[in-house]
Formats: sequence, C-alpha cells, structure tokens
Amino acid sequence: MTRAKIRNNIRRLRFDRSEMTQQELAQKVGVTRQTVIAIEGDKYSPSLEVAFRIARVFGLPLEEVFQYDSAGSSTSAP
Amino acid sequence: MDLSYQEKSILGSLVAMLVVYGYYFAAVLHNVGQPEFIGAGLGRLFLAVVAIIVIEIVYHIVLALESKPEPKDERDILIEAKGYRNAYFALSTGAFLVIAGVIAAGLSRGASPMPVNVTLFLMANIVLLFMVVAEVIKFATQLLYYRRGV
Repeated sequence: MTRAKIRNNIRRLRFDRSEMTQQELAQKVGVTRQTVIAIEGDKYSPSLEVAFRIARVFGLPLEEVFQYDSAGSSTSAP
Repeated sequence: MDLSYQEKSILGSLVAMLVVYGYYFAAVLHNVGQPEFIGAGLGRLFLAVVAIIVIEIVYHIVLALESKPEPKDERDILIEAKGYRNAYFALSTGAFLVIAGVIAAGLSRGASPMPVNVTLFLMANIVLLFMVVAEVIKFATQLLYYRRGV
C-alpha cells in the first residue's frame, strides 16, 4: 500500500476570493500561516476539523476544496 | 529562508544544546582518569545546566521581540509528537546500553581499575549523554519535518 495524497484547490480559491492572503485564511481557520503554506503545497494533510473549517471559509462543500487522489494508492485484499 | 516562530525556537534550542553540552562532554572526556575528574565535572555540569537555562530565556525573549509568538496548531503538535517518538528510540537504546554496562560491571566485580565513585560519575554522564542525544534528535527531526512535510 502506497501513501495516498490529498490534494486541494486552496490557492485558486484564495485567488478567487479577492486574493485572500495566506495569513487571512490562517486566522479565519485558526492555524498558523506556515500550516496553510504546507497544506497548499501538499506537504501536510489537515485534520477533518481543519479541513471542514477551510471549506466553511470558502462556503463550499469539502469535496470542492479537497480531493482524495487514489491513483497512486493500492490496497491489498485481505 | 522563511522560518516560522516554532522553527526559530527549535533551532535556537538545538544550537544552544549542541554548543553547551558539546563543550561539557569534551571537557569531561578530557578529564577522565584525572584526580579532579569528579570535582571539576560536577562544577561544569552545574555551569552547563545554568548556561542552558540562561541562553534559552534570553534567546526566547529576543525571539519574542523580533517575531510575534504563535500558539502551536495541530501541525506543530503532530511534528512535536513525531520528534518525541524519535527521541524515545535514542533514549531507550541508551538506557539498554547502561543496563548492560551495569550488569557487565557487576559480573566483573573488582576487575575495574577505577574507584567506584568515578565509575558511578562516568555512568551518570553516559546517561546524560543519551538524554542530550535524544533531545538533539527530537529538535533535528522536528526541523526536518517542518521543511520536508509531515
């Protein structure tokens, strides 16, 4: 089983929302700017709670902000 | 390089630990077998502990003035937990080696050329060395996770 990746559209969504800064998003979500940078760069997969808070800031359902990239993962049958 | 408040805090603690305990252990190793081994060693140990506390306080005051302190979020806590996990392996390895050393010393009782108090002080320093190594591993791996991703 290889590591699954969670991808996101946060950078584009910030741009669409009057170029919201990473700091503004971080403050609205309650994390540090470094964490927003790490999430945008696919270096950190946030908890469900933070993912929902990010989606709520953009007023979108979770699936429109985060996507589960299952192409690189495979699971073995029990 | 754009470092966060947490990264700067960890980097400062790592450098302070390497410098202070690097100097301390170099001095202790240099004095093994000398008559002043325990006396000078205890003095240096006291100085090392005080130096670490003073450096940490001064550094974090300067850091707080220079960049606004940020509370830890879930990513910081996860990275810290992974750092502690890595440090645990180093510390448990050290504990295992010390236990093996104590058992070996017990089996060869009387064979050691060193007095008991010197052996005990040396052993205390070996435990301290593994504690420092564990802390260094914690700080270093935290910095790695911050850069590489977690």
